[in-house]
Amino acid sequence: MSKFTATLERELDARVATPAAPLVAIKQLSVEFPGSTETKQVLKGLSLSVQPGEIVGLVGESGAGKTTLARSILGVPPAPGRISGGEVVFEGRNILDLPEPELRKLRGRRLSVVVPNPRAELNPTATIGKQIAAMARIHLGVSRKEAMRMAFAMLRDVQIPDPERRMNAYPHELSGGMAQRVVIAMALICSPAFIISDDATSGLDVTVQAQILSLLERLAADNDSAMLFITRDIGITAHFCSRVAVLYAGEIMELAPREDLFLRPAHPYTLMLLAAFSHSPKLRDAWSVPETGRRETSAKGCSYAGRCPLAQEVCRERPPPLAEISPGHFARCHFPVVDR
Amino acid sequence: MRVLTYLAKRLAFVIPQLVGIILVSFLLVKSIPGDPAVLMLGPTATPDAIAGLRQSLGLDQPLYMQFFIYLKNLLHGDLGTSWQTTRPVLDDLIQRFPATLELVTLSLLLAIIVGVTLGVYAARRPNGWIARLSDAYGLSAGALPDFWFALVLIFVFYTVLHWAPAPLGRIDMVVIPPMPITGAYTIDALLAGDLEAFWSALSHLALPVLTLGLLNAGPILKMTQATMEKMLDSDFSRYEVLSGVPQRLVVRHALRNSLPSVVTIISVLYGYLIGGAVLVEIVFSWGGAGQYAVQGVLNSDIYPVLGFVLFSAIFSLIVYIVVDLIYVLLDPRISN
Repeated sequence: MSKFTATLERELDARVATPAAPLVAIKQLSVEFPGSTETKQVLKGLSLSVQPGEIVGLVGESGAGKTTLARSILGVPPAPGRISGGEVVFEGRNILDLPEPELRKLRGRRLSVVVPNPRAELNPTATIGKQIAAMARIHLGVSRKEAMRMAFAMLRDVQIPDPERRMNAYPHELSGGMAQRVVIAMALICSPAFIISDDATSGLDVTVQAQILSLLERLAADNDSAMLFITRDIGITAHFCSRVAVLYAGEIMELAPREDLFLRPAHPYTLMLLAAFSHSPKLRDAWSVPETGRRETSAKGCSYAGRCPLAQEVCRERPPPLAEISPGHFARCHFPVVDR
Repeated sequence: MRVLTYLAKRLAFVIPQLVGIILVSFLLVKSIPGDPAVLMLGPTATPDAIAGLRQSLGLDQPLYMQFFIYLKNLLHGDLGTSWQTTRPVLDDLIQRFPATLELVTLSLLLAIIVGVTLGVYAARRPNGWIARLSDAYGLSAGALPDFWFALVLIFVFYTVLHWAPAPLGRIDMVVIPPMPITGAYTIDALLAGDLEAFWSALSHLALPVLTLGLLNAGPILKMTQATMEKMLDSDFSRYEVLSGVPQRLVVRHALRNSLPSVVTIISVLYGYLIGGAVLVEIVFSWGGAGQYAVQGVLNSDIYPVLGFVLFSAIFSLIVYIVVDLIYVLLDPRISN
């Protein structure tokens, strides 16, 4: 009886923490990459929800599954990946169950992705103006002329220098920062409800990076769009994400409101990430990782156990659950670091 | 303007290129054993007569002198005379080259339609049945000899089914060929408004065009398929899918980006087929330029051979210049 009450209380708490129905709820999403010898689990039953208008950060190192997640949410995992289970519930429907033509109409229209390294992602033989306008023509069904007008307005909104000239420019004539703005324009021209920013500022100069970030934040706010902000730089998430998730080897290791994550980090991996950015040598030494070699891929146990300075026998035996250690603050660890 | 300066530069290179081609082919043709004077006069000729003919043909001159005489005549528009047809080579080629060109161009169009269509569909589903069919098709198209395939088509469509006319030339014996304007019977017949001649010419084209078109679709198919697979797998195609662009448009954009490679293989085939169609020309008694040249080689009749090489070289150079211009139009990244 008491156990039941406790569970009920937890559920109530969870509802208090996230009062409204989520705009996007990723439930137990699993993606695998078939290889020549073994099938690699890139996402291992990942769950995460985003409220309307909310910006959720997702931090992870290279190979953690960031891009796989960004693309799998729209049902197109990177090749040769395959979605092996789970749901993406958007506006009450599991969109992964929708027939392809239905899902196609949501992509770029209601849910859109801002991709990294955009110069390779743009069609090399079409002008920027045409490519942005194509989004409006395909998804909003507007006339060619109206689409071009919208594309021009959008180029101005993303503050590209000399937008008249850029309308007729080809992707190879753009700098990395300009191409990034173009991709943002393409992602936002249909005013999507949900934006996935997939490491959108990687490979840009720091000053340009800051401009792009504030631009993205402003446009999302103007649009009332929710955003999943995926990055490898945990520092960036501190600026404008209301909640932050830490991804490691296809699993969320810690999920917390921004203040909790940065002031009271609980997972050793989060601490390691924060320590790497820290200016305190003492902290960096305490949480430095002795070896960053091949990640443990053993099925049992915690996937971080091989690199974790706190790892004990149990960590290699049993996978830790994603436990709620304080309201809205989850950590997947047998020995979460709590205030001491 | 940029295009014009480019064209001028390319054209400036055409003359030395042509002189080089003529020199090489002149030496090669001259090295073929056999004395034209002996062949022309027949087995009963006296040595005196042969020596006299050799002198009048300039065959007693040293090789380099013969070459300069040939070049000098070329500048005056004289490509020599064929001793077999006893007509100026230029006149013969003006009549025969368009016949080959008409055949080859239509065959190439068929090959493009078949090759590009199959290639695109095969690339859309790399493991689908069209892809497997394309693999089998590409392999057999490369393996079948064209003259054999032509004979099979003649057997089926002429001998058995009687759908096609007899493989004896470009037009029915009883139909008067149209006044030569372009030299291509179908076009000339249409220009003259002579529908009977048009249909007759078209029906005679059907089997040779089918032969050359179907067999030469192989390389175009393979190139389209490979390039399209690469393009559909590229970042920008994936991004388009991610942005909700309909598959039809994704494929169209990928094809647009594949065109430079496809155009390259088409241009190579075009130049090759001018001479490569000769066996099919012989099977259908086409009377084309390739057939003319081969007869020249077999009978030590060198001027038809050299004339054919010259015509083919000029044609190939034109094709390559046009293709280079097409590249500039197709790919905005090529600016110079």
